[in-house]
Amino acid sequence: MATEDARYRTSSQFRLWSFTPAHLSSLRAENNHLAKAAISARLQSSVPPVDHLPEFLTSEEELSLLNFYTVELLRAAAFLELPTDIRATAAVFLRRFYITNSIMTYPPTELLKTCLFFGCKSEGYFMRLSKFAEKFPNTSGEVVLAAEYVLCQGIRFAFDVRHPFRALEGAIMELRRLGDFDAKRVDRAHGRTREILKFSPLVTDAYFHYTPSQIMLAALSMADEGLVQRMLRDAFAGQGEAEKENVWSVIQSARELLEREPPERMTEYWGSQETNRSMKPLIKKLKKCRDPDRVDLVALQKARRQQAEQKKPKPTLKDDTAIFGGAVDDREAKRRKTAANGDDPFGPSLG
Amino acid sequence: MPTATTQARVAVLSPVHALVPVFASPSSAGPHWRVSKIASSRLGAARAMHLCAVVVGREREFILARCATPIRSGVWQRWQVQRLSAAARTGSGPDRLQQPRQLRTAEPIAALRSTTFLRTRLRGALSTDLDLDLDLGHPSPSLLPRELVATMAVSPMVLYPTDALQNANIRAVSSPLKNASSAQASSNGTPAATVVPNAAAAVQSTSLDIAEQLNEDEKRKYVKGKKLGEGTYANVYLGHLRNDPSQLVAIKKIKVQKEYTEGMAPDAVREIKHLQELSHPNIITLHTVFSSKDQNLNLVLEYLPLGDLEMLIRDEKGVHYGAADMKAWIGMLTRAVWFCHENFVLHRDIKPNNLLIAADGEVKLADFGLARSFSDPYKPMTSNVITRWYRPPELLYGVKHYSGAVDIWSVGCVIAELVMRAPFMPGNTELEQINLICLRLGTPTEENWPGVTKLKEYTTGDTVTPVPTKTQYQQWGFGALGNEGVDLLMKTLRLDPKKRITAREMLDHEYWSTDPKPTRLKDLPRKAGGEEKLGADLKRPPGMVDESRGNKVARKLDFGAAN
Repeated sequence: MATEDARYRTSSQFRLWSFTPAHLSSLRAENNHLAKAAISARLQSSVPPVDHLPEFLTSEEELSLLNFYTVELLRAAAFLELPTDIRATAAVFLRRFYITNSIMTYPPTELLKTCLFFGCKSEGYFMRLSKFAEKFPNTSGEVVLAAEYVLCQGIRFAFDVRHPFRALEGAIMELRRLGDFDAKRVDRAHGRTREILKFSPLVTDAYFHYTPSQIMLAALSMADEGLVQRMLRDAFAGQGEAEKENVWSVIQSARELLEREPPERMTEYWGSQETNRSMKPLIKKLKKCRDPDRVDLVALQKARRQQAEQKKPKPTLKDDTAIFGGAVDDREAKRRKTAANGDDPFGPSLG
Repeated sequence: MPTATTQARVAVLSPVHALVPVFASPSSAGPHWRVSKIASSRLGAARAMHLCAVVVGREREFILARCATPIRSGVWQRWQVQRLSAAARTGSGPDRLQQPRQLRTAEPIAALRSTTFLRTRLRGALSTDLDLDLDLGHPSPSLLPRELVATMAVSPMVLYPTDALQNANIRAVSSPLKNASSAQASSNGTPAATVVPNAAAAVQSTSLDIAEQLNEDEKRKYVKGKKLGEGTYANVYLGHLRNDPSQLVAIKKIKVQKEYTEGMAPDAVREIKHLQELSHPNIITLHTVFSSKDQNLNLVLEYLPLGDLEMLIRDEKGVHYGAADMKAWIGMLTRAVWFCHENFVLHRDIKPNNLLIAADGEVKLADFGLARSFSDPYKPMTSNVITRWYRPPELLYGVKHYSGAVDIWSVGCVIAELVMRAPFMPGNTELEQINLICLRLGTPTEENWPGVTKLKEYTTGDTVTPVPTKTQYQQWGFGALGNEGVDLLMKTLRLDPKKRITAREMLDHEYWSTDPKPTRLKDLPRKAGGEEKLGADLKRPPGMVDESRGNKVARKLDFGAAN
């Protein structure tokens, strides 16, 4: 076992944020289910209660919207002229956040700004909050910060994201050292791969299923397959063909994923008939079924602060318990039971 | 809430929406600026269009392309309209926005009390349902891919422009279903509109999304005990594992900084970011992070009860240590720094009181509040890092591009301090620090450090002192490290960072293979009372010097006169 692999396995990206496709979609389904249940209960308990519950987004629709808002985030990042690493980090934060939270619970248009702001912070690029906020319409610094805490919790405090950009620079150096190829060919592949890496892995689930080097090689093979073949031949010289084939098939599957979102889609995304036809109804639907209490993040944040300041337990809750004979305790017990049986919802690590 | 005039302006400008550059703008002046310019000049659409094209020059073709195909998507247009109105609005915007919000939060609280009965009932019912569903497990994963494929076909994400025909078929199959269901929803009215938003209800809600569940799970694993220390930056508590009380941890609760108005403090972000990734016996372990109800961050750290290296160095009467003990400590420090650098992390605050000691005597590097990843060649870094006494000359000279060599200098200062049992170069100001370096380790000149005189903040003392020889080091008392030890120390304290030894080279140095062998962990000198010290160390903000210390310590050696 190569030590590089072992070291990657200690990273938070592998420990907390790598899943098999089946596991990832089951997480999204559960998330969607929890949000639906919570919002339904909230709507029914409002006074007067609503007659009919709205139609909720399915988890597949949530995913489509997430992809859409990821592109929004990338466009906003380009507008802010942020460095590539920060753009990518912010995009990964957004995608991670909506694995542990539903789009119906927290508004994606606000969260993407918070992701950008916090992405800058976590990459050590400290931007003034006021300067950041004034770049966006109707956005105060307060709004950007209101979701920061929720975001950190949602991404499980894993602030370090490993990107394939430096890996590409390394691979290109390696190819130049080998000297088997025309310099122009290498340059062309370099440029194209960078373009792909800036978009395709961020708008797909590539980061959740593949390592940075796999993503880099997949993108490079999209640009020029021969170069990747040559590198693999060198890397696996003297080892079994089987291992090389194994790695090659992983690269191929990563490539298939990336090819669904080629970088040209960044500019096509807007205005295209397809996007309008499929996104508009989803956005409309979202407006009807979202959590009414969590849309205003600033108010939510204020309410949280207020609650924290009144340290003593709420008298109203106490009264409830007295009246309804330990209803709260039953619930708590049940919750604990499910927590004990359910284990970590993120499950065991990738095989 | 745009005023009438704003709306009018937006209306006038509406044909320009299509022109206002999208985010992918490579030009240096942001669209915001351009829009406000257009808006304030109150130009007609045609004129504005012209202006826009002139201003953005480089993007002209792109814009023209956009004009040809009017933008249809609602959201994009909304962004544009919002941007226009934000630009057109001047000054008083935020106030106008805040007032109605305050009203909204205050009013429903009263309503809430009266409906507690109903809500509790419903909440109970809800959680029962939830539990049931959770017990049954997730929807069968085997069903998911097919569903996913079906809807993905409708999604634009997987459509290729080339096979439009094929896709049209797929859409025809799936769309009737979709239309039927959405029509039903709209005939039911829009329920969300009738519900009064109530943030307080969300806070009190007992339903947990996955993020909250995971956070609760982490929190539940530990029990918080007595307070070990309290500071402006953080409070430190003793804690233990809930299911194994013998397993102790230190819980560092980072306080919300009132004066820092930019959200989560950078120290906390840096510390969490790097400690999450570094797992090594000589680096403090971050078990987990969780947030408490009051939105404070709680870092669950390894419990290191035997204080820090500074404590041992200072207690000259109570703690005696020799060459073998120092070798063991220096070894552990070097491995920690090597591991950081191997993972492309600069610690940037190495000093004795950031070297904590575990129950078994193992030294652990802590406090990553100033750490950062290695920078790319073109990105500048701040030179205002590392506690002054341990700060290398290149940082004092304001260098913005530096390497792991800055940490190695600090290691050298720590080694010297271990031997001297006093800070090696305790300057009270940055200027004094430079003077001390010149005096003790030689004046940086073009000969010993090419290019140094070109550095932005290059200054030296009044007289030029030559770099000390090995004999001088030995005369000063560093001979206690042995011949190889002195050699290693000299290499860590080289003025020119390019010639300074690296952590990797340090580990290969012959110092480790010469006698005496480093002391085994269990035989290392130790001292009681570490618990309070741990509390004091963890709560301190990074980069701060305990000024009182240097003043008390007698300047033992007259370095200046020696030359």
